Order: sequence, then C-alpha cells, then structure tokens
Amino acid sequence: MWGKNINIWYLSSFLISIVVAIPIITVFGSFFETTSNYTTILKDTFLYDYIFNSLLLLIGVLFVTFIVGVGCAYLVSFYKFPGVNFFKWTLILSFAVPAYIYAYSLTAFFENYGTAFSILKFLFGEANYNSYIPKFDGMMGAIISISFSLFGYVYVLTRASFHYQSQNLIELGKNLGFSKKKSFFKIILPSARPAIVAGLSLVAMETLSDFGSVSFFGISTLTTGIYNAWISFDDLTLANRLSFYLLIFILGLFILENLSRKKAQYHSPSKDGFKSKSLIALKDYKAFFALFFCAIVFFISFLFPVLQMFYWTLIFPKHLIDLNLTELFLNTILLVILSSIVLISLAFISNYGSRVSRSKFLQILTIFSISGYAIPGIILAVAFITFISWFDNNIISFFGFDTIKSFFIGSVFGLVLVYFVRFYSLASNGLKSAYLKINYSIDESAYLLGYSKFKTFKNIHIPYLKNSVLLIGLLIAIEIIKELPITLIMRPFNFETFATTAYIFASQDLLEAAAAPSLFLILIASFFILITSRYILND
Amino acid sequence: MSKNFLEIENVTFAASAKCKVNNVSLVIENEGDIICLLGPSGIGKTTILRTIAGLEKIQSGKILLKNNIISSKDIHVEPENRNISLAFQDNSLFPHYNVIQNIEFGADRNKKKKKSLTINEVIKFLHLEHIKKKFPHQISSGEAQRASLARALLTKPDLLLLDEPLSNVDQSFKEEIQVKLKQILTDMKITTIIVTHDSYEAFYLGAKCGIILDRQLKQYDDPYNVYHFPNSIEVVNFLNRGILIPAKVTGENSLENQDLGTIKGNFIKHYPKGSDVQLLLQPEDLEHDDKSNLKLEVVDRKFRGTNFIYTLKTLNNLLIPVFVHSHHVHQHEVDEKFGIKRPINIDHIVCF
Repeated sequence: MWGKNINIWYLSSFLISIVVAIPIITVFGSFFETTSNYTTILKDTFLYDYIFNSLLLLIGVLFVTFIVGVGCAYLVSFYKFPGVNFFKWTLILSFAVPAYIYAYSLTAFFENYGTAFSILKFLFGEANYNSYIPKFDGMMGAIISISFSLFGYVYVLTRASFHYQSQNLIELGKNLGFSKKKSFFKIILPSARPAIVAGLSLVAMETLSDFGSVSFFGISTLTTGIYNAWISFDDLTLANRLSFYLLIFILGLFILENLSRKKAQYHSPSKDGFKSKSLIALKDYKAFFALFFCAIVFFISFLFPVLQMFYWTLIFPKHLIDLNLTELFLNTILLVILSSIVLISLAFISNYGSRVSRSKFLQILTIFSISGYAIPGIILAVAFITFISWFDNNIISFFGFDTIKSFFIGSVFGLVLVYFVRFYSLASNGLKSAYLKINYSIDESAYLLGYSKFKTFKNIHIPYLKNSVLLIGLLIAIEIIKELPITLIMRPFNFETFATTAYIFASQDLLEAAAAPSLFLILIASFFILITSRYILND
Repeated sequence: MSKNFLEIENVTFAASAKCKVNNVSLVIENEGDIICLLGPSGIGKTTILRTIAGLEKIQSGKILLKNNIISSKDIHVEPENRNISLAFQDNSLFPHYNVIQNIEFGADRNKKKKKSLTINEVIKFLHLEHIKKKFPHQISSGEAQRASLARALLTKPDLLLLDEPLSNVDQSFKEEIQVKLKQILTDMKITTIIVTHDSYEAFYLGAKCGIILDRQLKQYDDPYNVYHFPNSIEVVNFLNRGILIPAKVTGENSLENQDLGTIKGNFIKHYPKGSDVQLLLQPEDLEHDDKSNLKLEVVDRKFRGTNFIYTLKTLNNLLIPVFVHSHHVHQHEVDEKFGIKRPINIDHIVCF
C-alpha cells in the first residue's frame, strides 16, 4: 500500500534529506574505525580542557547575549524615547560583523600600542598607557566578540515576540494591580520565554561551532580540537569522534530549541484577539537611560568594529591597494548566487514533496536532516571530506573509475555542496514556516478548481511565497558572506573570499592587512541586512 | 445500468480511526437535486464531502457519479479531474489574490459551459460588491465564506459540495442567501450536497436529509419525514424537537400516560395492546386550554418570536414542551398552572 504514495515529489524530497544527513551519518560512522595514538594522548591531556573551555565560553556568551538582547528588545518594543525607531533596525546590523572580525577589532584597539594607545597619545601626549589599557584577550575576548556578534538572534526573536504581545495582556496585568516590574517578570518575560530560549539556543549552537575567534584568541575548545586533530595530527577519525561529542551537546540544544518553538505556537496571536500596544513615552533620566543603553550596544556591536577596521584601512592604504577587490567581490557573490539557487530550489522541492505526500516518515527525515545548521561548519567540512574519501576508495575504485576527489574536494562544486548541507535548514525552515501560512485547504481548493499539483505549485505557491523566498535568499547571502571554516577548508586553490583573506592575514598576525577585507565584508553584509530588516520590521 | 446521478455504495468514510462513518449507502436520483447531511460536530460529515471530492481515498465500497466510478478500492479519480467543487467551511481563499481574483478562478473553469452565472450576478446575490478589491485577510470570516461560495458556484460543477456554507454568515443575510442559493441551484440544475448542523437550514434547502449519528447514516429521507417520523431514539435526541414519555398501548388508536391520561391518534407502526412504549411528544402535539382540568406547572418559557415554548412539569417530573402562538391572549409565568386540552389527539403517533 505504501508504494502508492511514492511519486516524483516524494522521491526528490527523500533524496535531498538523505544528502543533507550524510555528515551526521559519517560522524557516527567514525566509531567503527580505528584512530591514531593521539586519541590516548588527547584523553589524558586536553580533552577536559576542551570541554571545560567550551562550557565556560557558552555560559559567558549566553549571559551577555541574554542581558543585551532582551534588554534592547524590551526597550524598543514597549517604550518611546529619542532614537527608538533608529535603534529598532540598526541593532540588527550587528549580524554583519562575524565574531572573528570582532575579535580582530578588539585586539587591534586594546593591544599594546594599539588604537586605544594611539588615541590616548594623540590626546595627552607620550606616556606608558599600555599598562592602563585593559586587555580583552583569551576567554574574555572570545566571550565579548561572540556575544556582540550574536546577540542579534536573541534581540530579533524576543522583539518579534514582544511585538506580538497583545495590549490585552498588558492591560490584564494592570487590571490585576501589577506594578511595571511585576508585569515584566510575571507577564511579559514569561510569555516571550519560548522566543528567548529559541534565540539563546541559536546563540549556543553558533558559539559551540565558532572557530574563527576562538582560534584567534588561542582558546582550546572542542571546535579547535577537531581542527587540530585533523590538520596537526592527520587523524580524521578522531576529528569525527570529537565532532560526535560536540554533536551530542548541540543535539541537546537543538531539541530544546525545537521544543520551545513548539510552545511558541501557543503564543502566536490570533487575528481576532490581537490588540496592538500603545507605547509608553519615557521622559527625563528614563529616556536618557534607554537611549544610552541602546546607543552603547549599537556602538559596541557595530560602530566599534567598523570604525576600527576603517581606521586601519585608512592608515595602511597599501594593504587596500594590494587587495584584488574585484576578484574577492566576484568570488563572494558567485558563492552567494550559486548557493542561493541550489538551496532555495532544493528546499522548495523538498517542502512541496513533503506537503504533497503528507508522509510522516518524510517529515521525520526532514527534521533530522535540517540539523545541519546546528553542526559546526568545520565538522561538516571534515565529515564531507571523510565521506568522499571513503566513497572514492571503496566504491569508485571498486568499479575501476577515475578518482572523483578533485571534483568534490577543493572545488566550487564541493564548497557549494557543503554550504548546502550547512544552510539547508535556513532555507528549508524558512520555506516551511512560509508554507505553514498556507492552509492545506488552499491546495485542495486549487485541485478542485482543476489545477494539477504542478500548476498549483506554479500558480498558487510560487506567487504567494515570492517574498519569503527573497528573504531567505538574503539570509543565505548574509551567512555565506560571513562563513569562514567551510570556505577555508573546501575552497579551490587560490580561490579567496573576503572572509578567508581576512582570516589568513589575521592568522599571520597581520591584523592591519585583515582590516580592508573585513571592512568590505561588513559593508556588503550590512547592505543585505538593511534590505532584510525591511522585511523583518514589516513582518 | 443505474440512472441515479450519484450513488454511494457501502462506503466507509474515514479521515482517522476516530473520525469514521461506516458503510454509508445513499443515492441522489436526479441532476439538480439538493440533499443535506446533518449531524453533530466531529462526526465525519466533512470527511464524507472530502472523500466525494477525491481529497480522501476509500478502502471499501464505491462512489459513482453519472454512472462512472470515481472512487473505489482500486480506482481513484484525482480531484482536479472530477468536476466536483467543494466550498470549505474555513477560509480557503487564495491569500495573495483579492476577492474578485479569487472568484475569477471559479469562472475560469466554466468558460465553455453555456448556462452559467456571471461573476456580477453571483457577487450581487452574495453581497460581495463592497469587498471585491479586498484581500482575504482584510475581510470577515462570513465574507470569506460567501466569497468561497461564489467561487464554487461559478465553476458550474457536476456536483457541488458545501461544507457549512452559511455558518459564519450574518443572521441578517442568512435567510435571504438561503432563498437565493436554493433558487440558483435549482435554476442551474446544480446537484448539491450541503453539510450543516442547522436543522432548519437543512429542512429548507434539502429535498432529502441524511442524519449521521454514531458513525452511521441513521436516516435518509425527506425533511418532513425526518422531523415527524424519526426512525430512532438517537434521531429524536439529535433533532431535540420533542421528548419521549412512557406510555402503554391501550387500543388500535390510543395510549395511556400516567400524567396526561389517554392520548389518541394514528400509529405509524403497529404495537400490540398492552405494550410499554416510549411516545414521541413534540411541542405542537399538545394544545393549550385554560379551561381544561389537566393543569401542569410552568417551569420555563422561551420566546421564539412567532411563538412561545412552555416547558411543563408533570406529577412524575416529566418535562413536556408545548407550543403556543405568541399572539395568544395571555401569558403564563413560571410556577403558574397551565391547562392542556383534553382529550389529547395527535395526528401521527411515533413510538419506540
């Protein structure tokens, strides 16, 4: 009987889900292979450091992003104060600054004889300021860099949740005689809890998978451990095993995030019961405090790294001149376009296949396969290389064909394929939530009006979803422009993007040379974010 | 070969294990006939419509439209190839098209058909002029339901299925739309199955009514018979238009009840003398008479515009509904005594 439900949509959807699930399968497969002596050495030495540092980093980042993200979201959602409309969208700009570029800026500003030193010298003359300037390096530097780069997740999701909180809810608090403080802790915050948890879970996943900033600050976390196991000790199996531990950790967060999203559905506003909020106008010192809080967050998260990079680009113009801007720009845009087309097309096929076939098996498989976003880029790249090597050594050579490694490894095709696995959940979940807005009876109405499945897809779904598709495309673009580890590992020889160029200079301690590509990266990402924010603010 | 327009033969309609209607058989004899399906919420009425439309498959029995099998265990004609239109109860308008564009989707399908409604006619009759340019999210659920109905009507289908078509429509339009809907469906000879839980709507629109209870089609008959000659206690309870009181058969045309005394009338089914039965007593069966010596206590009075329905309590605590014209010279308050005309004569006696 089950065979009757299988059609071309079902099969396509099934195949896409399987491809996306390959890295997870590969990581699990590492337990059946032998590893080098490094495994024993690692267990006796660094493994606990990796775990301890990862946890410490996670706790620090979650604490800062919670305070900053929820604080900003609360202020701009419930109050009127000077500049509130400006901050509503500019706070989103922090998404344009990857944590590793933030780390370069932080170091460049506070290091001995850095920018802070130059400013003080310019203002007060020659002196030994180095001993007075705080140093944000090591764990502290990583926590600050990652937090201000990622707090946007908490801010955007919490703000959306606050935005949809009905005035009725707030009036209910007043009616029960609650003070503003009590209303905040008893009504406003608890009803935004699923959104906050969802935001924090995303931050947690990104933090655990961060490679650029932790490696820059020399902190040993599980992610850097994976990289070292593979690059320094040439032990791909151990790298995969370490990935497995990290995956277990992330899986827990992923489940938590999913559970909180499910709960969030209960908080979604119905058209009939919703009453929009009247904002409270702040005066005097309260207005100043709100303005100061948002302004300082905007400055630290966005202006500071931009100004630092801009400053260095200005004072070291040689690096800018040496940079092949056109090539870097074209490479970056090529990856954005190719990946967007592949991701959106396949996510469309998979979502529509799942919708048409209404197969529970497919839905479960889809959930499993979209966990790619939770898996650090570095794990995906390593797992992909492992899989291709295994496939090449065992299957391709068995049939006597030429090696396919060069086709997949160190090629744009392979790079886009790993991007596909990494960002598939972004495209798929985006389309899924857009599809959720189309009641299934809409499809059925189209069938009953004589439309075939393909015609329904073409004439009803595509026109309805075009705005969502554009938004998803923009989000993919932002992610790919910033993406570092996958690009670093999978890119063809001599193929550079702004992200890899900045990283390579920074890893050679040439921060001033990393400034120009970093600046361009931030500017391009900001451009996409500004367009995206139009949608976020409208929706 | 059968000449029936639609035939449903021993079909089990199932959306899930819980929502199932077993072994349904019914026919619509002529093109243009309207039938209504009545039943409580969640019983499976919508599933029946969805299955006939081809949105659900069947595991047993068969459905024939114009003598062609459209659903059986082995045959399943896809919904887009059935020329059956279904107006959903919830809003199924395309969200990115305005009301007029949504309605035009229906008109596109019937371009080649000769006798059909025009878009303007249907818009006027369903009072949609003022919302033509609005999008589905800008209109009320009642308006969306009317727009959905307009789209379905314009397809001029072989079979039109309407799922609670007027459930969200304002009371002020409802009766007018019912009248015009019936007129249009009859004029255009559109065979229609209407699902509703409003028995008055079903009795007005349907030439036949099917009552679905306990996962079965309990009764399928014309509205007069369904109301006056319900074939089971379940149908009586569902229609809620009378009560069952204990009585003993005392002769060919009479029964005896402890509180009301002798009741005369024509039995629709024979019962031997001395049988204990449950007699169906409907509000219009008893007549008010102030001079009567049979007095019962008023426990409730419902004003229904054209009439009052008094609820009277007997000595044995039976609660009996009695219909009184609202222009009756005086009213009785709760706790007052209320006279019932004797001897009691009922046109037709229904017992179980």
